[in-house]
Amino acid sequence: MVSVRLEKVTKRFGKVVAINNVSLEIEDGKLYVLLGPSGGGKTTTLYLIAGIYKPTSGRVYFDEKDVTDLTPAERNVGLVFQNYALYPHMKVYDNIAFPLRLRKEPKSKIDSKVHEVAKFLRIENLLDRYPHQLSGGQQQRVALARALVKEPSVLLLDEPLSNLDALLRVYIRAELKRMQQDLGITSVYVTHDQSEALAIADKIVVINKGVVQQEGTPEQIYENPRNVFVATFIGNPPMNIVKGSVLEDGTIETTGSRLTPPAAMAEKIRKLGLKTILMAFRPENAVVSEHPMEGKFSPLGELFEVEPLGRDAVVTVTVGEFVIKVVMPTKEAMKLRIGSKVYVNIDPNTIKYFDPNTELNLEYIEA
Amino acid sequence: MMPETTDVETINRRRMNVVLGVAVLLASSPILISYFVLIASSFTNQMITGGIMGQLIFTLQNWVLFFEGKLTVTAASVLSFWNILHYILNTFIVAFGVMIVVTVLATLAGYACSRMRFKGRKFLIQLLILLHAFPGVSLIIAVYALYIFSKQPLPQNLWTFYAFLYVIVARAALEVPMDVWIMKGFFDKVPWEVEWSALIDGASRIKVWKDIILPLVKPGIAAIAIFSFMAGWGALIYVMVFLPATEKTLATYIAGLLAGGSLEVVHLPIVAAAGTFYLIPTLAFFTFVRRYMLQTSLSGIKG
Repeated sequence: MVSVRLEKVTKRFGKVVAINNVSLEIEDGKLYVLLGPSGGGKTTTLYLIAGIYKPTSGRVYFDEKDVTDLTPAERNVGLVFQNYALYPHMKVYDNIAFPLRLRKEPKSKIDSKVHEVAKFLRIENLLDRYPHQLSGGQQQRVALARALVKEPSVLLLDEPLSNLDALLRVYIRAELKRMQQDLGITSVYVTHDQSEALAIADKIVVINKGVVQQEGTPEQIYENPRNVFVATFIGNPPMNIVKGSVLEDGTIETTGSRLTPPAAMAEKIRKLGLKTILMAFRPENAVVSEHPMEGKFSPLGELFEVEPLGRDAVVTVTVGEFVIKVVMPTKEAMKLRIGSKVYVNIDPNTIKYFDPNTELNLEYIEA
Repeated sequence: MMPETTDVETINRRRMNVVLGVAVLLASSPILISYFVLIASSFTNQMITGGIMGQLIFTLQNWVLFFEGKLTVTAASVLSFWNILHYILNTFIVAFGVMIVVTVLATLAGYACSRMRFKGRKFLIQLLILLHAFPGVSLIIAVYALYIFSKQPLPQNLWTFYAFLYVIVARAALEVPMDVWIMKGFFDKVPWEVEWSALIDGASRIKVWKDIILPLVKPGIAAIAIFSFMAGWGALIYVMVFLPATEKTLATYIAGLLAGGSLEVVHLPIVAAAGTFYLIPTLAFFTFVRRYMLQTSLSGIKG
């Protein structure tokens, strides 16, 4: 097991900059998730760690060892591709044994290792089948077995669940997390699914436009996004964003309602000289009701739609030019009338403030 | 009466099959009849043509005479059994030669065109199609001139060997462009991830190509092997032009029998026997290679 370090890594494909000056440290034995929209550079980052791509500039380290110029094989990484990339003409046994045979390990040792990993992943009964005879979930396990059998220093997973159906995905997700903890293997997991990332990550690295947007624990990322992109990418539904103007007395006015920010925040806003500001809050930190609630920031809007999702419902309210989504108990939500005037009661302590120009969270700015 | 099936999309399968079968049979009847006449004539005392059906007698004599090198039932042999054997061997040399050259070149070049990024790649790929559009005959004067120039410096005892080599390479050159194109298509279907997987597993580039990529494009290789074998087996003009008069192949031998006034002299059922024999290796080779052509499975790789 090793830690992985990217140092000012840039990767260009012709004129396109896929990864721009990324520095990143992946701790030994931890599960890191690279999260971002497609085309954001997360798979490129993974391939740079694997050695499939060579950085245009910058270095890659495994522990203290510079591996920038090493081949994928010399780095000893295990990689599970999104499409599994099993060898279609080989049986499952030979697929798993392939990396060991290339290392010229003795036959008996190969045999025991293949059976060991197959048993671990519960695919022992599939060893003499061909990949096309397996289901998607089984193929996925075989790909995982092939990656694990060589006891890699780093396990790399490129959207490993995206080809499975929704139900299976949730099961295998838990299994992957358990397996990673049992083996204590340094892992990098790429996904565009924020709920998947929140569910399994020790740490999440949000990547977009070739740049790391934020790095932190799932909790940090969820509770305190560093910028507007992260705020609107994480969460289902994501954070609501409302624009307001800062008045002379330090209060913020939006769509006819006034909010007094906490004193420290008001001070920061004043120091930065912001005239307008973006306020963001999570859908679960607000309640929609027919009357304004005590101690809340309650802009008035019109109820657009209610979508019951079992226990909770997503309530959509239009407040001025903004569309706000609130998650609240279905029972409460069903009492509201579509098209009626309602108040969105936001817990003021959960509101995050962003600079509209830099789109940065003010909590991350020194003023 | 209402038909049993009521689903809009259901076509009566059995009736469909009968209709298709009859249609295919009708469409291919000219070819089937030709082959029947050829093969049956080789076993009878005279050609099977209209109106003489009653006088046909089954015989193996044509085959015996063909292998003895005789052209008529009565006249003395012009050639011997060894000459015929020699022609057969020559045909195999040319056919397998063309097949090997084409298969090796097209597989390597197809891989390069599919996987490697180099300058002029796109232009080259377009050129391949254009090259295929040139009929081989139109090139023959230039190819012949090149042959004469290139053979001069060689010692005379190598000229026959060189002639074979030249025929094989020249005939193969006509086949290569299209087959490179075909192989490129097969290589394109193999996802990069499979190659990367093998590289990560520790295989060298060559090993990946040999152990992972090649087995996946086997159907393509089988197809171009058949095409190029048949091209070599049936090569007529290039063989006639470049091989010395004594070095015939079955194609030039049979063509010779039918040309230049010999048609009135030869006993046609012997030619039919020669023609039938000429078909056998192609059929055998096709049957052997066919099972590889259908063996394509890229599953286990979800896209």
